[in-house]
Amino acid sequence: MRPFAYLAPTSLADAVDALRDAAPGTKVLAGGTTLYDLMKLGIETPPAVVDVHRLPELNTIETRDDELVFGAGARMADVADHPVVRDAYPALSESLWRAASQQLRNMASVGGNLLQRTRCGYFRGGAEFPCNKREPGSGCAALGGHDRTHALLGAGDACIATYPGDWAVALLAFDAVVDVVGPRGERTVPLAELHVEPGDDPTREHTLDPGELILRIRVPATPAGRGSTYLKIRDRESYAFALASAAVAMTVEDGVIGDCRIALGGVATRPWRAEDAERTLRGAPLTPEAARHAGEVAFAGARPGTYNGFRVELGIRTVADAVRIAAERATR
Amino acid sequence: MTDTRRVDAYEKVTGQAAYGTDRVPEGVAYATLALARIGRGRVSRVDTAAAEAVPGVLLAVTRFDAEELGGAGFIMGGGFAFQSLQPLVDDHIAYRGQPIALIVAETLVAATEAAELVTAEYETEPFAVHLDAEGATTLVQEEAIPLPFLADIKVGDADAAVDASPVRIDSTYEYAAQHAVPMELNGAVVEWHGETLVVHEGTQNAAAVRFGLAQQLGIDAANIEVRSPYVGGGFGQKNSLQPHLGPLALVARRLGRPVKLVLARTQTFHNGSFRPATRHRVRLGADETGKIFAAVHEVDQQTSRHDLFPAMHTEITSRLYGFPAFRGRHRLVQTDVQTPGYMRAPFESSATFAFESAVDELAYATGQDPVALRLANDTMTDPVTGRPFSTRFLAECLRRGAEEFGWAARNPEPRSMRADDGSFVGWGVAAGNYPGSIVPAVAHLTAGADGCVTVGVDGHEMGQGIRSAIALLVSGDLGIPTSDVEVRVGDTRFAAQHLTAGSWGTASALPAVHAGLRELRKHLNAADTGEVDVAAAVQRAGHPVEAEVSTLGPGQPPEALDQAKAGHLAISGPVFPEFSTFSWVAHFVEVRVEPTTCRIRVPRVVSVVDCGRVASPVTAASQVRGGVVWGIGGALREESLADDRFGGFLNATLEEYPIMVNADVHRIDVAFVDEPDLLFNPVGVKGLGEVAMVGVAAAVANAVHHATGKRHHRLPIRLDDVL
Repeated sequence: MRPFAYLAPTSLADAVDALRDAAPGTKVLAGGTTLYDLMKLGIETPPAVVDVHRLPELNTIETRDDELVFGAGARMADVADHPVVRDAYPALSESLWRAASQQLRNMASVGGNLLQRTRCGYFRGGAEFPCNKREPGSGCAALGGHDRTHALLGAGDACIATYPGDWAVALLAFDAVVDVVGPRGERTVPLAELHVEPGDDPTREHTLDPGELILRIRVPATPAGRGSTYLKIRDRESYAFALASAAVAMTVEDGVIGDCRIALGGVATRPWRAEDAERTLRGAPLTPEAARHAGEVAFAGARPGTYNGFRVELGIRTVADAVRIAAERATR
Repeated sequence: MTDTRRVDAYEKVTGQAAYGTDRVPEGVAYATLALARIGRGRVSRVDTAAAEAVPGVLLAVTRFDAEELGGAGFIMGGGFAFQSLQPLVDDHIAYRGQPIALIVAETLVAATEAAELVTAEYETEPFAVHLDAEGATTLVQEEAIPLPFLADIKVGDADAAVDASPVRIDSTYEYAAQHAVPMELNGAVVEWHGETLVVHEGTQNAAAVRFGLAQQLGIDAANIEVRSPYVGGGFGQKNSLQPHLGPLALVARRLGRPVKLVLARTQTFHNGSFRPATRHRVRLGADETGKIFAAVHEVDQQTSRHDLFPAMHTEITSRLYGFPAFRGRHRLVQTDVQTPGYMRAPFESSATFAFESAVDELAYATGQDPVALRLANDTMTDPVTGRPFSTRFLAECLRRGAEEFGWAARNPEPRSMRADDGSFVGWGVAAGNYPGSIVPAVAHLTAGADGCVTVGVDGHEMGQGIRSAIALLVSGDLGIPTSDVEVRVGDTRFAAQHLTAGSWGTASALPAVHAGLRELRKHLNAADTGEVDVAAAVQRAGHPVEAEVSTLGPGQPPEALDQAKAGHLAISGPVFPEFSTFSWVAHFVEVRVEPTTCRIRVPRVVSVVDCGRVASPVTAASQVRGGVVWGIGGALREESLADDRFGGFLNATLEEYPIMVNADVHRIDVAFVDEPDLLFNPVGVKGLGEVAMVGVAAAVANAVHHATGKRHHRLPIRLDDVL
């Protein structure tokens, strides 16, 4: 860990100013559950951090008729346990409950969680491993290496690192948007446009500009919320990242699927919306075959490496199971 | 009613128990390590200029002179250290992760920053990190290490007997390299009090730390004190002198102040021992009823390039059943890693995974029930020596376990049992055993005017409960509460502190304390048995009353005690002049495999153990549960990955090395036969900590086979394998 300046503004306005005036490379500090970790590993070496963790303006949860609004500083544990979120949007609650541990969820913010960086062991492991994300142009050690947990979708020759988060995957299924503020004022970014695939430049993981701060996450209200689930399959029962996960939300009437959203986690370089798969289910009667088919369509573009091929079939089954669970909830 | 609670539980849960590196002596400086980033080769230049420029940095050492830092030797080669290789004495890099610089600073933050700034230039050499890798060298163990106890076991002509048998099993099994990852990180606080070096370190072998340091530093062992009252999990990784300790003592002397080093979790994956990867070929020959005529067990085990870590897998498998003929063979495969070591149930966990999987295959091949087949092959005679086992209640373990588990309701057909949610249910069984060993022990007992008895004895408390077992023995013998017994272990001021491992800790310490109590009673002028009013007896004596005794294993020569007092291993068993001693266990495991995503869960386990007399029921049951949890982890989770392109171990974090979490652990029922083994020692206790884990992985694998119909020949068994 290298020395860094620690700035603790006491208001949102001061935080925006601090970020505007800060040295290049300054980072926003919220729960610190990822940033401090990466600083200890020497991967993040910001000259300064701006601590927004205690700003009351950001630590809010509102459930309106037309949308849910989560302040970026709301704690993961608080959102997960919010009664409206639990009852009307179980996929959102489950995506948070199944992440990390209770201690981490008590600290981590729902805004910071969106920008969680990959857990690729070569990225985090140290300078002996080539990594285009850590050291541009050095290569990708995961290619041809131990790629059991690496991405099947959205990967390129420069990087196959998986986006590890759960929460953003569930939000993506609900067409959430993110309000941000920066030196040039406020703007709204659809969650679908927040993360980017690595392409030729794996160092670029999202579309926020330097100095921009996430203010809040807004989720449009939808009846598909009740018929939703976040199914996460992992190597152990807790405290592990997804081998494959699926956020599925739907409405069902008379055994026929109406609205349907499917997003995938743990299998792609970014939160992954499976729109082709959704289309196969909209207006279709719910059958095990249709659920399985949706999974197959979702993974049609998968490109397995050496050890991660099993996750194509696992992902297909995860989608199929999630569709079944969501449908049960939608018809209750 | 006797209070059998863990005597140091309160101190532990309230944080009052001070572990080795919990100490912060006044003026302490903090050390960190910079590590090699190549798989093997030479380090041609280490640049510490940037590190030394960090404010607060006191020292950056890349090389110690041979005169100031000698070798401590490999513990299994007559030395004191987990490996013979001492880093920071030459330019040789044997494996990725080997230290190349030691930094000392005023603060941990400065020391950490400085270590990150160390750069190096290397000349790389080819390396091998897998059993099958090009460049790995395979040696026949009995030729490479010609010692009698490492010779291949041969009883009759097993190969011919297998070939002539009507039913034959021939299977190969693989067990991945694993790391122990004890909660307490490796590390130490060292301080010089004048000419005396005081070492605070969580260790299972304070004697080796003391005498190894004396040899390395060229000082008298009398001037070294090692204090290790609590060990936060040893699991074999802390069984000897660690390579950081000599350098730490030297920089502490150079600076004239105490120095503390705590390895980062990632660093423990390369700077401590690990369970080596193994491959087992098991051949069984039997008749149509499953009566075994012969067994052949051949093992290839990974070792380092610089040490031959001896393999002893067949010591237990040759005793599992009444084999008329048996042949074992060990080969060692030299790879470019740190020297592997004795991670809990070091050979027995993988050996029984292979052997008891093969026995399960035999049960299916002959249509016999797996429990009945094991009972039919039971024996009371050691097949290797022809002499009796001192005690063997394996059949009792199997019968009682089957009863408690409800084994009779098992449909042997694979994939035949389903749970309400559609999961496939699998029931598996496996037996296990572990050699009974005893080491010399010295016990020093002092009865005080307050009626309290202080016991200083050879032994280390690493969570297994040795302090509780000793306190209970003294309490029960004298009729005083356990709170009036103070037990001092892991401290070279009170006893030599021979290595505590191999499940001999309690079986060695308790007989010494037992003998010490007999002596103490004499000095107290008390009867040989019955309650003693200690305070009154001490008052009559007019001074604190002391007794010191030493004990040996059955038939062990007295010179063994001198060997132990000099910090060397002095192990007797499991073959004694009149008998052989082993502990025995039977594990019954239920797994459930989800119908679609195929997650494997273990909702319940029944384990029945023959460990002789149970010395401390609460800690004993806890120890078995811990072994079962780890066995499940070994079967379903844990694997230390190595990347052929980079060397060393890859998944060197608690995130990527998936030990079991609480949510993975469900019902574990533990029962004991609790029959004393009075041939083994007068207290009747046998070993427990290791045998608790032996056979768990096999029982899990056999249960997965029953659930899925697929026999798994490689651990861990994960989603990848059952999907």
